[in-house]
Amino acid sequence: MFRQIKNLSKLQLCNLYGMNTFRFTKDKQVKRKTKILMVIWIIIIFMLISYVSGLTYGYIIMGLEEMSLAYLIGISSMIMLFLGIFKAGSVIFNKNGYDILCSLPVSQTAIVVSRFVRMYVENLLLALIVMIPGMIVYACLMKPDVIFYLAGIIVLIFLPFAPVTIATFIGAIITAISSRMKHKSLVEAGLSILLVLAVLIPTSRVSGLEGQITPEMIKELSGQALSILKKIYPPAIWMTNAMRTGELLPCLGCIFGFLVLFAIMIWVVSANFHFICQSLYGSVAKHDYQIENMKKDSVLIAMYKRELKRYLSSSVYVANTIMGPIMAVIFSGTLLFMGTDSIEQVLPVSIHIENLIPFLVAGIFCIMTTTSTSISMEGKEWWIVKSLPVTTKNILDGKILLNLSLILPFYLVAEVLLIVALKPAVLQMVWLLVIPPVIILFACVFGITMNLKFPLFNWESEVTVVKQSFSAMIGGLGGFFMAIVCAVPVALVPEEYLGLTMVAVCILVLVITVLLYRKNNGVNLQEI
Amino acid sequence: MLTINQLTKHYKGSNKGVTNISLKIEPGDIYAFIGHNGAGKTTTLKCIAGIHGFDAGEILIDGISIRENPIAAKEKFAYIPDNPDLYEYLTGIQYLNFIADVFGVSVGHREKRIEKYAGLFEITPSLGDLISSYSHGMKQKLAIISALVHEPKLLLLDEPFVGLDPKAAVILKDIMRETCKNGGAIFFSTHVLDVAEKLCNKVAIVKDGTLVTSGNMEEIVKEGRSLESIFMEVVDNV
Repeated sequence: MFRQIKNLSKLQLCNLYGMNTFRFTKDKQVKRKTKILMVIWIIIIFMLISYVSGLTYGYIIMGLEEMSLAYLIGISSMIMLFLGIFKAGSVIFNKNGYDILCSLPVSQTAIVVSRFVRMYVENLLLALIVMIPGMIVYACLMKPDVIFYLAGIIVLIFLPFAPVTIATFIGAIITAISSRMKHKSLVEAGLSILLVLAVLIPTSRVSGLEGQITPEMIKELSGQALSILKKIYPPAIWMTNAMRTGELLPCLGCIFGFLVLFAIMIWVVSANFHFICQSLYGSVAKHDYQIENMKKDSVLIAMYKRELKRYLSSSVYVANTIMGPIMAVIFSGTLLFMGTDSIEQVLPVSIHIENLIPFLVAGIFCIMTTTSTSISMEGKEWWIVKSLPVTTKNILDGKILLNLSLILPFYLVAEVLLIVALKPAVLQMVWLLVIPPVIILFACVFGITMNLKFPLFNWESEVTVVKQSFSAMIGGLGGFFMAIVCAVPVALVPEEYLGLTMVAVCILVLVITVLLYRKNNGVNLQEI
Repeated sequence: MLTINQLTKHYKGSNKGVTNISLKIEPGDIYAFIGHNGAGKTTTLKCIAGIHGFDAGEILIDGISIRENPIAAKEKFAYIPDNPDLYEYLTGIQYLNFIADVFGVSVGHREKRIEKYAGLFEITPSLGDLISSYSHGMKQKLAIISALVHEPKLLLLDEPFVGLDPKAAVILKDIMRETCKNGGAIFFSTHVLDVAEKLCNKVAIVKDGTLVTSGNMEEIVKEGRSLESIFMEVVDNV
């Protein structure tokens, strides 16, 4: 059994982040692109390390050393948990190679464990990047006992283990439920989103504070965050205490508990592995079609319909890209009930938040666009559109249209909520209505630009494209960053220049969008 | 119908590809393209189909350059790859409608052609099912029907008989003959030399990315020899 797990895990891990392809490919273009991506990843990791180090330093200087470790453990665990829920089902029950694996003399348990190992290793890397800089800063400033280092090693090893086990368990249950349904992908996406929202919304209730931000206020907010963490994820506190005070027992007990949960999860998933896979991959063939009532569509509509079918066929694609629009509606709804005061109070400078609401909403809408991965999602079927008599514009317009049509109903609901909540003047209402679509349009076009630049077709699982590809990260967040950048001048200019600034921002974003759109449409797809 | 002049295509960072390939396929030709694995057959077909760009040379489809005017050129042909990776999230009929929409085929024509070819290949009842539920052979049949739904002048087929049952293979051969009788042309790669010899009027043999021989089948296969023996002799000696 261990030999099987070892061999299968090696198979799972050998091409992690495309390293095996990079090692053996003779295609210089692939090598060059991978090197560029590596440099960008190093910069991002360096930024993350700087942020973590700075944050830990700040907490310790303010006397919040407990919070510094708890925050790092808690936040990394939450990220691993939520991202894990979205992708666990796709990784554990990955279709790729399923037939070959089933024909090999390996147990189902070995298959499940090897796929779990892959998720664990991916998350361990994240844990190391987040925790080690924080621990180094803590060790330099606090000069802790040797127990800190001992407990630190245990925490590092088991930090991803707990959230990945929980995420795998939940992801497997969601996949098992959805596998019995007719619209498997939509049910799976819906359940994942509901679950994440069910945890996120109650935990985001940090009460508002009056006046400007002071160190005392940060301490108070930190205290609230710590008490929330205690309620929703006590292992973070036990792990923190193990490192800070050497109180190992609760931490070890928690690790033992997760080992038991892991064993149960592996046992349950292994026992149902074939059944779930067969339910997932088996299609009901009615075999009763009769040719009737055909309809002709334009090329653009044909492309759009195909994109929509592609989108709805993938739960991980839906779950990851629909969160932004859902969060935008929730944000607008929150403003309706809470007003803008609570946001203004926690901002470090005194500004009229009403002027920034259009940018905030636009930014939230743009978290993960479908366009940033829509070319990669073509995968091995990319040859079809390349061999058809359609222009690059036709193909890309279909992808942009899909993204816009997905956002449209959420945009309409959010706008109604915002107008009711803010009761804006005529001009403010114009900005509220115009700015989000302008930035959303930019985000969709920018997503295409990034995906054309960094396409990924030889993927084994959709998770690789939607959650791990470079274009998903950069392209998916382009609109969010654009919203922030545009909000800065609006926040800084005097009130009398506000209208002019808004017009300038809109024109600038539209010009950039048009330039990118034209550049995208001029791309020769043969080279992609 | 199809003119390939001095086609050269090399993959970046690799020696693989094709060099100086020139061929001419006339209306009414069934042209076999044979060679060992990795000889450059699929690369050539993908260059013609506009999937790959190429380093040098020219490809004209019915007089239209695939490089200069790809959309107009692509309207003239249909391409079927060696492995029919189709959109598994669509049903068979949705896929056929998608292809028909892209080629602007009228409702009347598409209905007539789908009815005809799906009936011949006996997959009409399965057209309402998702392609993911299809066997390899059914996907191949669907790919063939999609290629025929817009009545192209030129068919580019990469290993079209792989995965087809014997009856479907016979039907495909009949369709190929009928297409050529109506003034169309077919350029296809195959490893089945028997089929190539009996079905085709012209043949080209490619080895390590270069054309070894090409021309009329009866001129190449003569004096009671088989295409198989000619092929073995040519690829071993050149």
